[in-house]
Formats: sequence, structure tokens, C-alpha cells
Amino acid sequence: MIKLSKLASAVALSAIVASSSLLADTVKIGVQAPITGKYANEGQGIDQFVKLIVNEKNKQGGLLGKKIEVITCDDEAKAQKAAVCAKKLVNAGVFAVIGSYTSGATEAAQTTYYRNKVLQTSDGTSDSLIKRKFWTFFRNSFPNSAQSDFTADYFVNIKKYKKIVVLSDYSSYSEGLGDATEESIKKIGGNVIFRGKIKSGTQNFTAMLTKIKSMNPDVIYYSGYYTDGGLLRAQQKQLGIDADFVGGDSNDNPDFLKLAGSAAEGTVLINFPTPDILPYKEAKKYLKAYEDTYNMKPPSIWAVVNADGLRAIIHGVEKTKSFDTKKISDYLHTLKDFPGITGPVTFREDGERIGAKFIVYEIQKDGSYKVIE
Amino acid sequence: MDIFFQQLINGLTIGSLYALVALGYTMVYGVMKLINFAHGDLVAFSAYVGLTIFSQFFGANANSIFTVITIFLFTALIVAFVGVVLERLAYKPLRTAPRLSAVVSALGASLVIQNSIMLIWGPNMKIFPSNLIPNTTWQIGGVILTFTQVIILALSAVLMVALYFFINKTKIGTAIRATAIDQDAAKLMGINVNRIIMIIFIVGSALGAVGGLFIGIYYRGLTFDMGWLYGLNAFIAAIIGGIGSIPGAMLGGLLLGLFNAMISGYISTEWADTFTFILLIIILIVRPTGILGEKIAEKV
Repeated sequence: MIKLSKLASAVALSAIVASSSLLADTVKIGVQAPITGKYANEGQGIDQFVKLIVNEKNKQGGLLGKKIEVITCDDEAKAQKAAVCAKKLVNAGVFAVIGSYTSGATEAAQTTYYRNKVLQTSDGTSDSLIKRKFWTFFRNSFPNSAQSDFTADYFVNIKKYKKIVVLSDYSSYSEGLGDATEESIKKIGGNVIFRGKIKSGTQNFTAMLTKIKSMNPDVIYYSGYYTDGGLLRAQQKQLGIDADFVGGDSNDNPDFLKLAGSAAEGTVLINFPTPDILPYKEAKKYLKAYEDTYNMKPPSIWAVVNADGLRAIIHGVEKTKSFDTKKISDYLHTLKDFPGITGPVTFREDGERIGAKFIVYEIQKDGSYKVIE
Repeated sequence: MDIFFQQLINGLTIGSLYALVALGYTMVYGVMKLINFAHGDLVAFSAYVGLTIFSQFFGANANSIFTVITIFLFTALIVAFVGVVLERLAYKPLRTAPRLSAVVSALGASLVIQNSIMLIWGPNMKIFPSNLIPNTTWQIGGVILTFTQVIILALSAVLMVALYFFINKTKIGTAIRATAIDQDAAKLMGINVNRIIMIIFIVGSALGAVGGLFIGIYYRGLTFDMGWLYGLNAFIAAIIGGIGSIPGAMLGGLLLGLFNAMISGYISTEWADTFTFILLIIILIVRPTGILGEKIAEKV
């Protein structure tokens, strides 16, 4: 008899467990970002911004009555780790993932999310991210090709540079942006005199820069990340190369200024508007909330566009009144002018956010940015 | 021609850093026949220690000669101490064990140091302030020479000459050379081998500390895993010069730096590392003991 009652209670217990999991009152959202490693400050920014928005949502009663739980996975901006993160987050039962920061890590995780019907939104700008046309994937930033066209136009038509050097590192984002920029410049008749690649993290770029010096360029364009960009700029100045230095979007980080030191002055960056000059109503509200919560500004625009990705997904869930990712995705593909922190969010059929708007800044002596174009 | 001389200076600067680090590898190998894989991480550690001393005790802007000397001295002391502790914990218990065990222990120690750096200072990039050494530059023809480069070249040269005299002209130096040839015979001659090994680790770690600090001052961006980069290059330099040979490590370091700069400058930056390994393979085939490898053995 005892056995039977035990069995009965076991059955009852499992029934409770099963039903409670069916009626779970939480819904899970994943964050896949480089929480540690070279780009840690970007990854932590993304994580913090997501948690800020989720907390706010939970205070308002959650999403369709369910509390949102955030599960963060650190991909260290490495492809292998990203693949592990994707499996981990899928197994944890997330319905959407925010991230990652780098195109490489995003791409490595993309297929896993697609197969498991998990929505993913990233700031990765590599053109290849959209090529596979996964219905689960949404890009919240603008593709390299948009940036490269803008950069080429700025170099050739506005600054009238005659000798252009294009440098990148070997990451899929940087190489892609470098190639796209070279192509765009050539397309409109500009003159790229040197296209070089550096190995990220090697620190010593003097050999290549000395070679570049002999070519007497008007401008050195670097399409990689701030960790190498700041050093490149410092070593360029140290070698007495007078050329302008223009950095692509990923050089836009406070650490660039620290690495370049006094050489930072006069550096030009091409990116979206920085968080603090975003003119939108949502921007003022959320950036203030971010500063109040974490006592710091978001590390860069990238944390903010990722936050917009989350807000778009939340909006999609609320509009479709379901957690069916296919339905949300269909809705998001037709989303038009959703008021985002980084401006109106409109997604194209293939998950691309449209309406690219770039700005050119110059770094001032005191480290502040001055918009010049 | 300017470009050539500029590459020469670039190459010599990075080469002196490799040489300083390579000395640590070669001295330990010379005496213990052990590749101390943790040495590169000790170099990274010293850059962090130097940065901490600077930011904790000297505030933001104090580029006096006193500050610089103090930072170098204290960093060298701390890192030398850590080097000795490392030897006591990771290598001494395995001194009579098969060599493979010691190598595995070295790799383990490397991971421990690397992860300790990550836990103490965090995984994010730390940035060395740019105002420790004045930003003066000189222009000779079209060649630019910075104050930092001059200091690196001069101090490395002084340290290497000092080490050369220490090893060749002092009593302890003789004892070190004797131990390098035959530990047991050295013991029978009344040499305290434990003490010799301790001195080796003190000197090697202190030189590595100077190298690490220079790396921090010259390149500024510090990552917890940067030790691997410099460790590997210095290790290659030590092999090229002839591992176990002190002049070999110096020569190997300078040669590797120059070789790398010239390949990057005249052939291709992308292929510079590949050429480094091709050079290594050629040296190992043509002269397996390295350029100055045998000389030191014959000397005594």
C-alpha cells in the first residue's frame, strides 16, 4: 500500500511539474554577447541595456502577463564559443536572442537559432549575415555596404582624397567592410593605393605603417575594431605620417581615445549618431534610465541598437499577442517606423533594417566628438 | 633609404623586447633543461603590475625620472618574487621527474597566471597611460625616433651587457655556467644548485618584467592573454639564437624583430608570421642548436 501511495504521489507530483511547465509564468530571452574578452565593454553594455528594458517591462506586468527572464551567455566574441552559446540558449528555452556584438559570433550562432525557430537580432554589420535569408534573423544596424558607400562618397566627393589607404583586420566584419569600402571607392572613381590587413591584437603595426608612409597617402581608413584602431592611430602619429585617419563604426568607443592618447585628436569616425546626440524621444528616456541605473553611459551606439532589437521583438509579441516566433517574425518583416531609441525602425523582407543614416565626427582635443558631416 | 632605416629602428625596438623576454627562456632552459612556458604570462603580469603601481601610487600625471625608476624597480622585485614562487611550486617538486611532467606543469602554470591576471584585473583591456615617458620624438632625415624607443634600446642594451658580465665575470656567473653543464658535478663542487636556480628565476623574471613594462609603455593596450604573443615570439627567438645560450637569446631576439619588420615592410604583413616560422624551420634544419647554440657549451 505504501508503495502504491508513493507511486500515486509521484504521478501527482509529475503531473504538477508538467502542468506548471505548461503554464510557466515566465518567458525567456537570451543575450549572446562578449561579456569578457577584448570587446567586453561592448558586450556588457548590451547585457545591461537588455536587463534595463526587461526590468522595466516586468515592472509593468511582464510580457502578455508573463515575467521575462534574461539568460546571458558569454561568447567572448569567438565563433566557437558563439556556437556553444547558441546551443545553450536554445536548450534553456529562449524564444528570442539579442546579440551578438561581432558579426563573426553572430554568424556562428545564426543557423542554430534558425533551426530551432528562435528569433535573433544583432548589430552585426557584415553583409553575409543577411545572405542566408533566415526568417529568424533581424539586423538592427546598417550593412557594411551602406557604410562603405557613405564612406566612399565622403572620401572622393567631399574630401577629394587622391591617395587612399584601406586597412582592416581579418574578422568577417572588418574584412567585409574594408573590401566593400575599397570597392565603393573604386566604383566612383577614387584611388585606393594600398589595401592592407592587420592581425588583431598583435600591437605592433609600425612595419606596415612605415611601408604606408612611403606611399604618402592622404588618408588611412581603418575598418576594424577600436582595440587595434587606437594603436594604429598612435603609431601613425608617432611615425610622423600626416595622413588623416578615418575609422569605421567599430572604432567608436571610449577606449579608442585612451589607446591613441594625444594622437586621438583629429581622428575622424564614421558611424551612426552617438547615443548622446540621438534626437529621439525614446533616446532621451532610455539613455537617462541607463545612466541612472548603471552610473555610466552606454559604451557605444551598439548597445543601443541591440536594445532597439529587443524593443522591436517585445512590440511584435504584444501586437501578435503570441509567442509564436513565426508570427512575430512575419509581423516584424512588415514593421514600419516603430519608434526606436536609434530612430524609426523599419525592417525589410530579409530582416535588414533600412534607412541608413551615417554621421562623420571628429575627435577633439578634450576627447569630445564634433559632428562635421 | 629612410624607409629602410625606419624599419630597422622598428625592428630593433621590438627585437630588444623579444630579447629581454627570450633571456628568461634561455636561462631557465640552460640550467634546468625546462621550457618555462609560464614566462610569457609572467611578462604580461609585469605589465599589469607596473600599471597598478603607476595608477595607485603616482596618480595621473607624474612623468619624473623618479617615478619611472620606482615603477621599474618595484615591478621587477614583485615579478622576481613571483618567479621564485612559481619555481618552488611548479618546478621544484618535479626536478627529478621526467621532463614531460615539468613541461606539462609549465603549461599549467601558464594557465594559472593568465587566469589570475584575468581574475585580478578583469578580462577587459587595460590601458597604460601615455604620459609615463615623455612623448618626445626626433627626426633624423626622414627617420623618426621616439624617446620611448631610445629608452627601450638603451636600457635593453645596458641590461644585456650587465647580464653578460654577470654570467661571465662573476663567481655566481661561473657557478651558473657550471650548473648549466652538469648539475650533479656542480653539486659535488660545492655549488648550491637550489640557490643557483633561484637566482636564475630572479634574474630571468626581472628581465621579463622590464620587457613587460616596456611592452605596456610602448603599446599601451594590455590584455590578460597577451603573454602568449610575446612568449611565443621570445621562445622562437631563443631557439633561433640557440636555446640555453645567453648571447644567443639576445641575438635571436634582435634578429627576429628585424626579420619580422623587414618581411612586413618589404614583402607582406599578412605573411610575416608565416615567414617567422619558415625561418625557424630552416634554422632547425640547418643548425638545430641555433645560431650560437654550441658555442656556450664549448666555452667552459
